Amino acid sequence: MAKIKKKGQSGQAKNYITRTQAVKKLQISLPDFRKLCIWKGIYPREPRSRKKVSKSATASTTFYYTKDIQYLQHEPLLQKFREQKVLEKKISRALGRGDVSDAARLERNAGRPDQTGKPRYTLHHVIRERYPTFIDAIRDLDDCLSMLFLFANLPSTTSVPAKMIARCERLCHEFQHYLITSHSLRKSFLSIKGIYYQANIQGEDVLWLVPYKFNQRVVGDIDFRIMGTFVEFYMTLLGFVNYRLYSSIGLKYPPKFDQTKDDKGAELAALTLEGVNLATNEETTKAITNGEGHGPDPKVQAEVDKLVKKLRTESAADKADEEMADGEEEEEEKATDAIDKFEPAAPGGDVLPQPTYSGNNPSKLFANCTLFLSRETPRQSLEFILRAFGCKRIGWDPILGEGSFTTDESDPSITHQIVDRPIVQAATTEQGDGEDNQTAQKLGPNQRYPGRIYVQPQWVWDCINDEELKSPELYAPGASLPPHLSPFVKPTQGQYDPTVPLEEQETEGEALDAAIEDAKDEVESDEENSEADNDMDVADDNDNDEEEDSDAEEDEEVEDEEDEDEDEEEVLQRQRELEAEISGKAVKSKQVDPKLKAKLEKKKALERKKKEEAEDLERAKGMLSKKKRKLFEQMQYTNKKKSTEDMKLRSKRRKLEKEKAAGKA
Amino acid sequence: MKSKPVEKKRKVRDEESDSESDDELANGLFDGVLEASEDEEDYIPSDEIDDVDSESEVSEGSEDAEEEEEEEEGDDDALLSDDIPSDDEMGKLSKDAEELEITEPGVDPKPKHQEEEDRNYKVVKDANGGERYVYDEIDPVYDSDDSDAQGPVNTIGNIPLSFYDSYPHIGYDINGKKIMRPATGDALQSLLDTIEVPKGWTGLTDVNTGNPLNLTQEELELVRRVQHGLVPDEGYDPYPDTVEWFTSKQETMPLSAAPEPKRRFLPSKNEAKQVMKLVRAIREGRILPYKPPEEREREEEEKEEVQFDIWQDEEPAAPNPMHIPAPKLPPPGYEMSYNPPEEYLPTEEEREEWEKTDPEDREKEFLPQKFNSLRKVPAWGTLVKERFERCMDLYLAPRVRKNRLNIDPNSLLPKLPSPAELKPFPTVVQTIFRGHEGTVRSIAIDPTGVALATGGSDGTVRVWELLTGRQVWSVKLSSEDPVYTVRWRPTKDAFVLAASAGEDVFLMVPPHSSVTPTLDQASRDVLAAGFGYATNGQQPATAPGKEPAGKWARPGTKLEDAGVLVRVTVRSAVKVITWHRRGDHFATVSPEGQRSSVAIHTLSKHLTQIPFRKLHGLAQTVVFHPLKPLFFVATMRTVRCYDLQKVELVKIVQPGAKWISSLDIHSGGDHLIVGSYDRRLLWHDLDLSNRPHKTMRFHPKAIRAVRFHKGGLPLFADASDDGTLQIFYGKVPNDQLESPTIVPVKQLKGHKVVNQVGVVDIDWHPREPWCVSAGADGTARLWM
Repeated sequence: MAKIKKKGQSGQAKNYITRTQAVKKLQISLPDFRKLCIWKGIYPREPRSRKKVSKSATASTTFYYTKDIQYLQHEPLLQKFREQKVLEKKISRALGRGDVSDAARLERNAGRPDQTGKPRYTLHHVIRERYPTFIDAIRDLDDCLSMLFLFANLPSTTSVPAKMIARCERLCHEFQHYLITSHSLRKSFLSIKGIYYQANIQGEDVLWLVPYKFNQRVVGDIDFRIMGTFVEFYMTLLGFVNYRLYSSIGLKYPPKFDQTKDDKGAELAALTLEGVNLATNEETTKAITNGEGHGPDPKVQAEVDKLVKKLRTESAADKADEEMADGEEEEEEKATDAIDKFEPAAPGGDVLPQPTYSGNNPSKLFANCTLFLSRETPRQSLEFILRAFGCKRIGWDPILGEGSFTTDESDPSITHQIVDRPIVQAATTEQGDGEDNQTAQKLGPNQRYPGRIYVQPQWVWDCINDEELKSPELYAPGASLPPHLSPFVKPTQGQYDPTVPLEEQETEGEALDAAIEDAKDEVESDEENSEADNDMDVADDNDNDEEEDSDAEEDEEVEDEEDEDEDEEEVLQRQRELEAEISGKAVKSKQVDPKLKAKLEKKKALERKKKEEAEDLERAKGMLSKKKRKLFEQMQYTNKKKSTEDMKLRSKRRKLEKEKAAGKA
Repeated sequence: MKSKPVEKKRKVRDEESDSESDDELANGLFDGVLEASEDEEDYIPSDEIDDVDSESEVSEGSEDAEEEEEEEEGDDDALLSDDIPSDDEMGKLSKDAEELEITEPGVDPKPKHQEEEDRNYKVVKDANGGERYVYDEIDPVYDSDDSDAQGPVNTIGNIPLSFYDSYPHIGYDINGKKIMRPATGDALQSLLDTIEVPKGWTGLTDVNTGNPLNLTQEELELVRRVQHGLVPDEGYDPYPDTVEWFTSKQETMPLSAAPEPKRRFLPSKNEAKQVMKLVRAIREGRILPYKPPEEREREEEEKEEVQFDIWQDEEPAAPNPMHIPAPKLPPPGYEMSYNPPEEYLPTEEEREEWEKTDPEDREKEFLPQKFNSLRKVPAWGTLVKERFERCMDLYLAPRVRKNRLNIDPNSLLPKLPSPAELKPFPTVVQTIFRGHEGTVRSIAIDPTGVALATGGSDGTVRVWELLTGRQVWSVKLSSEDPVYTVRWRPTKDAFVLAASAGEDVFLMVPPHSSVTPTLDQASRDVLAAGFGYATNGQQPATAPGKEPAGKWARPGTKLEDAGVLVRVTVRSAVKVITWHRRGDHFATVSPEGQRSSVAIHTLSKHLTQIPFRKLHGLAQTVVFHPLKPLFFVATMRTVRCYDLQKVELVKIVQPGAKWISSLDIHSGGDHLIVGSYDRRLLWHDLDLSNRPHKTMRFHPKAIRAVRFHKGGLPLFADASDDGTLQIFYGKVPNDQLESPTIVPVKQLKGHKVVNQVGVVDIDWHPREPWCVSAGADGTARLWM
């Protein structure tokens, strides 16, 4: 006889281990275990059968893989944790003895992370283990960047030391500098939560969120120790990633950091990138900012003027161009290196994706512009985006900090000015005196410098997302902006898309409903009009018409007997007619015009078809196994939910459009 | 002050002498102060008595000291010493200097002082006229043995001063003179208040004298020095030059004649050890040159921030198959924009509903908002919290790989043939057969398809014309027992009907228009053949006293005239009759009959056999295999298949139903349908498994009967207590590998439910897609 197997000795029970067991096995405290798990990327698992795994009855047990915990046992960090524990014991013992100086000495030597914001251990090996290749690290950069950018904007507290914040900020700036130099920023999106950026680094898309520059509110119970552990890991990771990225484009890392500039709020400009030339050992310093010092270059000036002229003529001739475009494009086509666009000749083939960056180079989008940022605009994000898309000269109000190309708003080289203030209804006589002296602003409230385009900040974002300079008219100061759409949404079949006109995406039934409603409205309004100046003669005519109509209806009745609703309706109609005859009045209601009628019929046919389909579906569903049926129903449920959501959006839009049309009329 | 250059040298010395005579003068100064502070006449005599000389000396000293002070410090003192003529002082000073010239530095001038005055006593006359020696007061200089004697000492001993409160004096001095109480009170107080607090004022009272205790200049200086952490004695040099006794001077004669020991010439091992210890510590970095802590910290930070290319020698490793990377957060959609298209904005109702729901139950954690300008966008309040929750998810949320089926749900549905392809099947009721009182228990169409037989609760068997619904023939078999079942003999060579009422099974040849006289005769012969066999004595002998399994007899003339020719009586009431396809055997089931519940009857021999000694559970129904010598017996839970030739159990089919009601076998013999009282219709593929291939649960009530179409059409039907029949299309493919197609096609409604019993029995036409049903409402219906 085979040996009787005991419960919990093999199989799943051995593969999983509870958290308490794991902590006991590793002989560390729970916070240390947490740290270790965060750094090493160990996470709990859901066993296939909880019952087989757990020895206790508690439902909310956390399980880890036993293998994972075994792997943790060989972690060098464990030893560090133990050393730390020993030290803490020594300190507490010294304090217990009243030997403060000894305790102070021990503590000084300890280099406690919460005092200095830096641990004595390093996480290098952990990074290498978790990300064996650089691409792996890039793939996992989303959370890292979001976290560090958030921490760079946090106020320093006891739980978030100022040093940590400063380091986060610096790492983020370094990363931004890489994106600027390599032009790898792709998309950005202004959401209500903050600004999303998407960059493409070595073929990997990285998406992160940067909060708006405000003091972040810390609400609810947030354990900053956990966050701090993550941040510690992410800081190390981003340091290495930055190093690799910088060296990949031939820059020295870390870049030179200018403390005085940083103190003045230069932010990005506080860092100076240096190229590495190993052969000559000569370091070429790259002027990353603004070309300060060499003033308005006559060449540049000429170019700028030309561009301004061009832009002006372009905007004027835009509409004409658009109309001509279709015809002209074919003629203009020349042999280029760019990838040709393949259009399917016949339906049914698969759609193969093609890289989109072929035509105009987005990294040169703002290359010919000189921008000036007014003091109410978010300078940090604008500066970053504009630089990443090729803008070399950005000026801003001195109140926004150091490092601008110019602080003089009246600089003639400025081609675009970004403003975000309403048009003030101020008397022209008042201007000039009541200005606040803080800024270099010398102009009156509504006064503009000639020869320069004024736009709202959203223009920049829409430009980079569409990879073209958008027409600035829509974004003029004070104008109501076009909706800002997320560039991350990929249009899928059947889903609501706000960029596509409504007619193209609504279902047949919806279109019919809408048309019927329109028609009814029209009829109602017509009736109202006609009722006002109706007299008996016209009514008689109506009667005659009606009789003819009813004859026709009778014919139809013969055709589709099954349509009982219609029958009822007709009966009602007849009834009404009779009543009207008796009373000698004209039949006003149900004066159905043929168009509406046809539509109503179509709708009925559609409904009938739907009903039949539903019956078929029900029959087919009856033949599925229970498991499959449940799956099917679940899928149906989610699909239905999505489609109802889309339907809601469409109906809302229809309503809005109607209102707009009504408003115009 | 001293302007003459000639006296320069003297002046220097003068200063020296000043400093040296400090000790001497200290006492005098003290006295002087006392003198200055007190105006009382009483005290003066004691002083006068003491010594005039000493007084003058003392006053001289005091003046001297004050002079010094004046040179150094304030004007107040200058005021005090103003009245003293400077010439006088000069003379004294010069005299002092002359004296001092003889003295050596470092030696106290005291002995000279004593030399000058040989006698330290005076001889005075006492009260009796005799001699009395009055001694000088001992001046306790530095060298003096008497360190206690300091000024006029109160000799009252260690008693509280309060004892003298009522006396004008406060004690006695060494000479027994009263020490008078110094003046106190308002006059003096007011005086003191008017003048400024004198230098050295402490506010204390001297216990011995009762005078205010003030500090002298020296004492103040002493306090100052102590306070500044200096050596209290001004002249003391804590770091004198080393007096070299041995080292630098070469001695002509050594102190010791011993030869130098060897160790003097060997390097010290211990020292080497110590040094090596330090060297090692330096090498290992344990001992570092001193740096301010801030600088050290900065350096360490820089050291930690050292970056290098960690992926220099990267090797793409295959990812761990068990590793599940954390899912990325979904990218923001249109509704998250600060300026979304207007259709995304919530309506008033949606907003209200969102606000009403609990934050945990909300579908979206935010409401879309529209700001018409970027500067109006505020900070997102819960951003930190959201990020924290993401952190928690990353390290605390169990990760499970879930396969999301990204397919069209319609692809899951089986490809059903369209209803048009499934035709023909019965759809409407064609004929209703009325006549039975109470439930029609059983129904059967004869093999030719012209006659319909029904048996009812009223105990009658009726034969009808199928198409017209005309009753052809009727016979009452029993007055108390209902006719449970009627079944036609399945061959066309005879027209024989079997019916059961109570414990009896009747075999009859009903007259019918389609029955020719030859056929009628043939039928009667089939039934009668067994009687001859029985009379031949071939009936197996049964044990005496034991009831035979079945008694074959003629039912009596009355019934025989009606056409009922044979009666077989078994042990208990027969509920089910099933014919073998050849028509020679039929099986009956009497569920209450315990071990004899299933009986197989042989018509040609008038023989009844009980095949099973013991049955597992109550037998419900039986069926013969259409091709093989197999016999299926359905008990309550299982269907057992027996081989009749080998007499053995072949297989047990387990439909999983709680109580099987009916059973039928497909004409191919490989498929079985089972109906059960627990509302299930089960299709078994006998080749595949013992478990059901398909379970159909379309009836809300128990299923009473199931039946395959035997005439080649792929149809089967079931009858249920909910008053409906359901017609299924069930095609058994020729290919063994394919599974049968089962499609529900029609629900036939028409029978009424009486006492919670709906349709009781069902049968198919042998060729056409028609079926008949027997209902509890007393009707039978033909559906076509």
